[in-house]
Amino acid sequence: MKQNFRHFLMLALLCCSASLSAANANAIVADLSKDHISIKSNFAGEKLLLFGAVDTTQEGPIEDIVVILRGPGENFTLRKKQKKVGIWVNGAAYNVGPLPGFYAISSTRNVSEMAPQDELIKLGIGTDGLEVNFLSPTLDAVERAEAMAGFLRLKQARALYAQEQNGVKLIGGRLFRAEINLPSGMPVGTYVTEFFAFQNGRLVGYQTGELPVDIVGAGNLLHKAAYEMPLAYGVFGVFMACFMGWGVAIIFRRR
Amino acid sequence: MQIYLPIAEISVNILTLIGMGGLVGFMSGMFGVGGGFLMTPLLIFLGIPPAVAVATEANQIVASSVSGGLAYWQRRAVDVRMGLILMTGGIAGSYAGVQLFKLLRELGQVDLLISLSYVLFLSIIGGLMLRESLHAIAATRRGQPLRARRPGAHSWILRLPLRVRFRQSKLYISAIPPLMIGFFVGMMSAIMGVGGGFIMVPAMIYLLRMPTNVVIGTSLFQIIFVTASVTILHSVENQTVDILLAFLLMVGGVIGAQFGAIVGQKLRGEQLRALLALIVLGVGVKLFIDLVSQPEELFSVSRMGLGG
Repeated sequence: MKQNFRHFLMLALLCCSASLSAANANAIVADLSKDHISIKSNFAGEKLLLFGAVDTTQEGPIEDIVVILRGPGENFTLRKKQKKVGIWVNGAAYNVGPLPGFYAISSTRNVSEMAPQDELIKLGIGTDGLEVNFLSPTLDAVERAEAMAGFLRLKQARALYAQEQNGVKLIGGRLFRAEINLPSGMPVGTYVTEFFAFQNGRLVGYQTGELPVDIVGAGNLLHKAAYEMPLAYGVFGVFMACFMGWGVAIIFRRR
Repeated sequence: MQIYLPIAEISVNILTLIGMGGLVGFMSGMFGVGGGFLMTPLLIFLGIPPAVAVATEANQIVASSVSGGLAYWQRRAVDVRMGLILMTGGIAGSYAGVQLFKLLRELGQVDLLISLSYVLFLSIIGGLMLRESLHAIAATRRGQPLRARRPGAHSWILRLPLRVRFRQSKLYISAIPPLMIGFFVGMMSAIMGVGGGFIMVPAMIYLLRMPTNVVIGTSLFQIIFVTASVTILHSVENQTVDILLAFLLMVGGVIGAQFGAIVGQKLRGEQLRALLALIVLGVGVKLFIDLVSQPEELFSVSRMGLGG
């Protein structure tokens, strides 16, 4: 409740400042409910609130808003299973990238109704706008499309890619808010937020920001140790196991 | 309550993990088998990446074999010299296994290697266990005592060069067969995340002709070192050991095993062994069906450079 009230205050302030700066400059101001995401040991995913305000221009109130949260770019290996001697095994492998490890887009309505397709692609709005480089091997257009569709299905199944056509709610024609689900398997790194305001097919407002996502606490320590000093990490695992096994055997002997 | 596993990179319910560890530990304590060959497939069914399941389970088995092996050590039911020779072969085998694992991981085929190994071994072991326990049940029904069968000795293997005297086992045999058995089981341990006692124990009895009173203690003794080697090698080569996951499984596993051992001493075994055999076969069949049926999603994705 308290946090909601704080958001309301922030929205109110934003709204004032938005009206003050209404003189044709940027028609959107926005912020997030958090300035960083910490993945703790008990992280089971959470919701991120994105909110802000839009101006009313000479052409009237702005109704088309898009928010995007994009994870850091990575290269991926996509593998396609095929049937060999009766069993399904990984066959062809395609290296693709860099593609965001996380991509969530939310809007007031279907983005394709907001602006022409080529404009959306140019702005990187929607998964069609993701620039895909097939690093290897070279594929024809059909194989590319099939592989890309597979990639999107896999990411959507883990809630790492999400699209909501009515996710951005406009309140009183000025304030807007959207919620984006952050799943437990989200990759770490610096995320980018983008806010777009469209009016009559033209981009009238844009804002971008960053959102760092880190593993913290014991999990972070283990994750770092596993990759940066793997030998010590492995030896630690063995010692812990010996100690646990020995300790339990001693405790039960006493009974 | 969910817990985020830092290497598996997923959130899993903490009680599910401890419960699974406890259940498998209980069964392994009751039947005197290591739980690895049940736990690793269960972890995979839970959604843990197979490569992480295998390496992490090896780490857990270190704990369960220390806990189980201590009693045999105190009773002096360990043939240390035999254990050291098996261990030497085992550590070499674990190195070969981890290298093969790493290679196939880069080729994107490690999940297949794990599944195929499991289908093969679970069906063989489940089948043999089921046959043996059904025979035992039938024999008790007829009121006949069960005759322990000892297949004919392949004594020429034991007369190979490099003969060593094993006082504890009262044997004077070549070191080559135990080295080779150790190597094979070590490789299995690295690929499947098992201790390999279910192969090691029959091999010691029927191939090496060791007396049964030192077999389990010696097997556990060498499993400690081989699974420790597997844990460290997987950490270094593949970064697939999830210590947090291993810890939670150990908590359930070692405690479950102690209770299982208490219950196991009081219960009659044949029916329970038949049940365990059916569980083992069931897990094998499930893995087999997953291999042969058309997957709903043909594609899989991983970060580039990481196979499984």
